Amino acid sequence: MEGARKRPLSIRGDGMGTIGEAVRRRRSALRSGLTGRFLDLGLIVVVAAFLILLATRVLEHGPSFFLQILTFAIANGGIYALIALGYTMVYGIIELINFAHGDVFAFGAFLSASLIPVFGLGEDKPFGVLPALALLGVFVVTMLVCGVLNVSIERIAYRPLRHAPRLAPLITAIGMSFFLEGALFLWKGPSNVHYPNVLPSAGFNLFGAEIGTKEIIVIVTALVLVVALALFVERSRLGKAMRATAQDRDASLLMGIDIDQTIAATFFIGALLAGAGGTMYGLYYNTSVFDLGFSAGLVAFTAAVFGGIGNIYGAAIGGLLIGMIQSFWDGYFESAWTQVVIFAVLILVLVFRPTGILGMRVPEK
Amino acid sequence: MQRRWFSAAAILAGALVAAACSQAPAGGGGANKGEIIIASDFPTSGAERSSGRGPEAGVAYAVSLNSNIKGFTITHKPYDDAVNGAHDPQKGAQNFTDMVGNSKILGVVGPFNSNVARATIPVANRASLVMISPANTNECLTQTFSYCDPQPSALRPTGKNNYFRIAAPDTVQGPAMADFAIDTLKITKLAVWSDNETFGKGVADNFAKEITKKNGTVVARSDFDWKSTNDFRPFLQKAKDAGAQGIYAGATSATKGCIPRAQMKGIFTTDIPYMGPDGIGDTQCIKDAGDNANTNMYFTNAAAEAAQDPANTALINDFKSKYTSKEDLGAYTFPGYDCAKILLDAISRAIDTAGGNMPTREQVVAAVQATKGLKLSTGTYSFDNNGDPTSATMAFYQYKGGDWSFVKQFSVGQ
Repeated sequence: MEGARKRPLSIRGDGMGTIGEAVRRRRSALRSGLTGRFLDLGLIVVVAAFLILLATRVLEHGPSFFLQILTFAIANGGIYALIALGYTMVYGIIELINFAHGDVFAFGAFLSASLIPVFGLGEDKPFGVLPALALLGVFVVTMLVCGVLNVSIERIAYRPLRHAPRLAPLITAIGMSFFLEGALFLWKGPSNVHYPNVLPSAGFNLFGAEIGTKEIIVIVTALVLVVALALFVERSRLGKAMRATAQDRDASLLMGIDIDQTIAATFFIGALLAGAGGTMYGLYYNTSVFDLGFSAGLVAFTAAVFGGIGNIYGAAIGGLLIGMIQSFWDGYFESAWTQVVIFAVLILVLVFRPTGILGMRVPEK
Repeated sequence: MQRRWFSAAAILAGALVAAACSQAPAGGGGANKGEIIIASDFPTSGAERSSGRGPEAGVAYAVSLNSNIKGFTITHKPYDDAVNGAHDPQKGAQNFTDMVGNSKILGVVGPFNSNVARATIPVANRASLVMISPANTNECLTQTFSYCDPQPSALRPTGKNNYFRIAAPDTVQGPAMADFAIDTLKITKLAVWSDNETFGKGVADNFAKEITKKNGTVVARSDFDWKSTNDFRPFLQKAKDAGAQGIYAGATSATKGCIPRAQMKGIFTTDIPYMGPDGIGDTQCIKDAGDNANTNMYFTNAAAEAAQDPANTALINDFKSKYTSKEDLGAYTFPGYDCAKILLDAISRAIDTAGGNMPTREQVVAAVQATKGLKLSTGTYSFDNNGDPTSATMAFYQYKGGDWSFVKQFSVGQ
């Protein structure tokens, strides 16, 4: 119980529930006391074994290579974190896995690719203050359009089903995902879409590693957005309303919170991050494809579960970790195994910590 | 309500009648003995249209020039094996099942991709339907090696061969680029990656083997799950740290073959060569490479470039005047044309074998196998018992001024 209260940023309420819930929790806490410690120990052994293996490889390749991979890894993880936040926020507030979220992200990548020439940016133009402002414009417009798109999706496909059995909105979410994928397919075709390389590729040397401007921009943007989101959920009125709605929708309604508006706001904010993530994805990897939302969304959703679904810091950490596992594995080991390793880690974490890394106990309904 | 259904049905019936009427029998005056269809199977929609449309147009062109053979009307029926823009073995197998069921189809030109061939050869084999591919290069389709899975014999349940190709297998294509890297580009340390598909991994393995054989070093080697991989930077960094002087991509443009080229910027200098098999030889690759597309990009083509032979000038000009879309004329257009010509030549001989009547599919297979020294636009073709060409041509291309341009070609014996 106390552990849960230390995490005020959970969108889902945890501290207060019905008496029955409290009793159930107490019981499971007692039960998991002993076995839980063994399980945690097992997890630590597995993680330690992996870290030792990694350490030998790291020593083999030297520190500058490590630093280089670390930069790539954090940038990679930062993008996943931004997508994962959208999954976790929506799940936190209405317990819906918004499958369409990944496609909103892909839409963000497509839209920003089209906006770049509109804002006067291009591949062969020098980067400076004015292009930076233009790029900021691309970010803002993409984020807002993605926000509006996600709110419309919620209004059309999820809100009418709010009181339907839980499987119904899940299926409409899958439907929406396919719908968006189809729309993106029709928009830019099935091929890889080249994303203009706008950011300068220059960088600076840090202990032999080349830290690129691109990585710095991606990492800083992701960090700023995550912190802004955390502050927003923690400090603002709307953030408080979101937390309250997640905790107990009926009680929030009685307290005068506009539930529909709060949920719509959650979708809007989640999509803002997805839009920013999509733009950053394009700028960093210089490519996108219509079904990007499926592959990236799957990993990001995994990250959200990994970190503890419903928990904002959890999603950020989960995204970061998955991105790091991916990059480190690609850098130090055989890439063919990367997916296997990511999901093996996920299974291990969930076996030992069913609620994810930061833990988020979702009350049973 | 009922009336509405009725009128809808009436409209539908009307449309069907109209459609049926519009399919008027084509050409072939005099004694028309019937119709023989040559099918083709290529990925012709979406991302891979730039690869698959060329040979399809080649087949259509060959058939249009030979629309009547010994009293039979010859027509072309194209099939598309792409699903969502990427070649799909299951879709290919489905197409071939449809072809097998159509008794007028006596031969198929295609498929384009080796994994589609692997799925479709057994389907065609059971029906003794002959297939000739202009572009399949995986060696395991025809030749027995200990590492082949499945072995060629497993693909041919009847025990008799029905599959032929005119492209040089990967045992030639991969090593050819390796020789090019070491002998012409003078680089010995190479990083190799693949998309982990039948074709990509095969050609990458053969490239790596040849590099080692010629005293070069493969400094980094990775196989990626291309669908979920977006970030090639860690691999590229690993390659750079190990001192790679060049990168070889065992992949196609549709499997992200040239995305690493764009991501090399900032890690490698732009003068590091990027090489790949025929799968990256298209405009999609150039688009994906973005601002890092430069003259240090090369690919091999497992077929000759028809334009190199001055005798083909009139043929190519005539083709260009009839097929004007950019995708129509690609690296595999004339190989596709030649496959159709081999098939047409075989059908003509098979009609004689059948005493001027409709030949059986078995007779067509035997006639293709008996092809001897047939001089066509991309070479002179005969087949060995595996179905491989007795001599194939390997061509090299380099990126120059916005498009791929021909460097050189040479003949390789089996």
